[in-house]
Amino acid sequence: MKKQLTALGLALALGFILFGAACAPQRQARDQYISGTSAGDAETLNWILAADSASLSYAGQTLDSLATYNNKFEVQLRHLAKPVEVSPDGLVYTITIRDDLHWSDGVRVTAEDYVYTLKSLMFSDWLNFPYKGDWQEQVGGQPVFVKPEVVNATTFRIVRQTVDPEFFDNALIGLTPYPKHIAQKYEGNVKAFTEAEEFNKLTYTGNLGPYKFKDWVRNDKYVVARNPEFFLGKEDGAPFFTERIIKIFGTPAATMAALEAGDITAAGIDPAQVAKFKSKANLEVYTTPDTGYLLLAYNMRDNGWEGFRDPRVRQAFSVTVSKKQVVEQILLGFGEPAFSFLPKPSPWYTEEGVDKYGVEPLYSKDKARETLIAAGYGARGADGSFRLSDKGGKPLKLVLATNVGNKTREDTAALIQQELSDLGVEVELKLVPWPTLLNNYLKNKVPSAAGEAQFNSGPRAVSQERWDMIIIGFSSNPIAPSGQEVFLTSSGGLNFWGYNSAAVDALFKRVKSAEAVSPENRKKLYAELSRVIAQDQPVNFLAFQYGNTGIQKRVKGIEPGINMGYNFHRWFYE
Amino acid sequence: MRRYIIKRLLYTLLIAWGVLTITFVLLRLSPSSPADKYLLNLTARGQDISQVIASIEARYGLNRPIHEQYFQYVGSLVRGDWGWSLSTSMPVLELLGRHWVYSFQLILLATIVAVFLGILIGVYSAVRQYSRADYIATFFSFVGIALPNFWLGIMLILIFSVKLGWFKTYYDTALPILSLDNLKALVLPVLTLSTGMMAGYTRYTRSATLDNLRKDFVLFARSKGVPERTVILRHVLRNAMLPIVTIIMFDLGSIVFGGAYLTEIIFGIPGLGRISFNAVFAQDYPVVVAVTLIGALVVLLVNLITDVLYTYLDPRIRYD
Repeated sequence: MKKQLTALGLALALGFILFGAACAPQRQARDQYISGTSAGDAETLNWILAADSASLSYAGQTLDSLATYNNKFEVQLRHLAKPVEVSPDGLVYTITIRDDLHWSDGVRVTAEDYVYTLKSLMFSDWLNFPYKGDWQEQVGGQPVFVKPEVVNATTFRIVRQTVDPEFFDNALIGLTPYPKHIAQKYEGNVKAFTEAEEFNKLTYTGNLGPYKFKDWVRNDKYVVARNPEFFLGKEDGAPFFTERIIKIFGTPAATMAALEAGDITAAGIDPAQVAKFKSKANLEVYTTPDTGYLLLAYNMRDNGWEGFRDPRVRQAFSVTVSKKQVVEQILLGFGEPAFSFLPKPSPWYTEEGVDKYGVEPLYSKDKARETLIAAGYGARGADGSFRLSDKGGKPLKLVLATNVGNKTREDTAALIQQELSDLGVEVELKLVPWPTLLNNYLKNKVPSAAGEAQFNSGPRAVSQERWDMIIIGFSSNPIAPSGQEVFLTSSGGLNFWGYNSAAVDALFKRVKSAEAVSPENRKKLYAELSRVIAQDQPVNFLAFQYGNTGIQKRVKGIEPGINMGYNFHRWFYE
Repeated sequence: MRRYIIKRLLYTLLIAWGVLTITFVLLRLSPSSPADKYLLNLTARGQDISQVIASIEARYGLNRPIHEQYFQYVGSLVRGDWGWSLSTSMPVLELLGRHWVYSFQLILLATIVAVFLGILIGVYSAVRQYSRADYIATFFSFVGIALPNFWLGIMLILIFSVKLGWFKTYYDTALPILSLDNLKALVLPVLTLSTGMMAGYTRYTRSATLDNLRKDFVLFARSKGVPERTVILRHVLRNAMLPIVTIIMFDLGSIVFGGAYLTEIIFGIPGLGRISFNAVFAQDYPVVVAVTLIGALVVLLVNLITDVLYTYLDPRIRYD
């Protein structure tokens, strides 16, 4: 009896501890804005060393850039005092910054800081800035850096030798300076620069952004606190939220649970969960267009099926896959069919004359069969039945690869396998880890050549593993999409599928030339590119996805759109 | 005994060096690069990935021959420099120093709860063999062993956090470690981690206690008129503890080595399990090597402590 009483006493004690703990006061986060994500943590706050979007986003909360876009792609000035002036020949950019910007130690931010950042850090050999290509132009077949020069304390110039109509949108708009007087201490020493406390804890940011760095617990949370000195404060007022926190969760399920329980303010929502969260009284779900798109690449290299080197065959395959099904069954309605690399919100988007493969009337398996017969891959029997075969008369068996763990891509692969089976194609699915997809499928080299494999090692290069189709996702810059040349031009660094079209090469060259400075001309060139690429079908652009974000209803000041967070410093709690 | 311990410590150093070398070489021979994870963002910007990968590898000296990298790393390690974490941008030692406490408090509390309740229920179950209490304990211990951590954790969150609102859905690192709030934040993670362990200890303790209850020395003690509590606690439990201690120490080693990872993931606890898992995926070589090395050292030391403990639990055991 005594023993039983002891056990009971211990159990009660444990229960009491648990109950006491449960009744402990819960922290209220009234003025904190907590975004939940399971996408992973940033790599560094020393942004010039970063190549991941999370790092740039973390640093960006304490450091604004020269300007940004609103949802209509209208330029919103940030560090700029006035819009950038471009010389009539399109070669000289004059940039004037605000005169009220200062570093944390009170030293004024000047044009000298910007020019130093460009010349001595971003263009340097010792630092290996990952995006230095944004600041280079091709002169005489060689990449050379643009030339920055100081005009006065608030003005600097960038001189180019060639015209790039999208230079401002691709590079200049995002420029942020490092403090010259601090960075000089570490110049030339990559280890010291990488480990510099000022840059890793953002202690120098002064009034350059709406928030100041407070804490970063790796793989847990990133915390910034309201910056009362914020340079836009005079006009817009300092940000409302006392703290902005990015909370990293281990799984999407944990993120969703935290959003549902009201422990966090906002989080991205999977399409399958949207209906559930829309029914929550305390949440608003914003569905906005996104720049990410899903595509099916055809291998036109020597180790892919030779049929894909014929545009008629590519058209036949693209006409077989229903984009409506991709959008409705896989993206659950949160997307729209894609017909080129241009998303609908892009000012350059057009549907005029663009073949819409994958939607009726260009979703037709009969049409696909006729096209394949015309291309020499199949025939009709005496009974009218269609039999697909390769040039040797054998049944067609193709490899479709994608990365394992990405449900959208896995489901899309299964859908495509099913669609192509109606044509008589036996599709072998290969779901491989992402590094394997990159290294064994996407990278290629000429078999006998020395050196490392690249993503485009020339027309004769092949990947280590044989593949015929790959499902992958890319993203396009809606305002400056010429960067897509890396995928679609014959010399593009990421043209891993081996596409080669003189017409497309020429059009990309023109879109990056003086001819495209006029928006009207650029629109015509992008329209032509869209038409040529849609006709040629080097890849099957499947769908642009939409993003879904759940935010507590008490958050006001939100302007839903493709750049929804551009005015975050004006958001507030009701 | 002293000579034995010194010998074991020397073996420990030798094995740790072997673990360090194998981990280092295997990581460097992997076809992946720390820059691989940037592909999506780079493609979004239309950047030539090959150049970027090369620049990132050059920055961290990963483009140099593997033997040069190895000797430089070992040299730095000897000087107390554990390197710079590529994926978190801070010194490795500082990273581990900041995060070990989150794992430690979770493992410590979960082990205390599991050991205490597991042994208590196990002994009670054995002493009351085939009673209703024994059947209930047996049933729940099988359920506890069968429940996967990740499922239990998510269920606890859905019930106690989302539905009832008793607990926050995630662990908050802003809470002071020695506070009631922190204890509250750890209730669900500790329950999740300790349930399986506790169920296992219940089974082992019951089985070991039953074995000893049938031994002659128990009969002898009882025939001498020794009180039943003394028979159980001093004679039976002490003898039964030998295999149980082995299992507890083995569990402890494996939990420290990453067994708490799933619980950390579910409850958003930035402990060593999560840090090391992310480091593996980010190809953060310095962190992976350091965590593997520390994990190996912990396991080796726990084994040594276990062996030493045996001599106290069973005086017949002598290593000399």
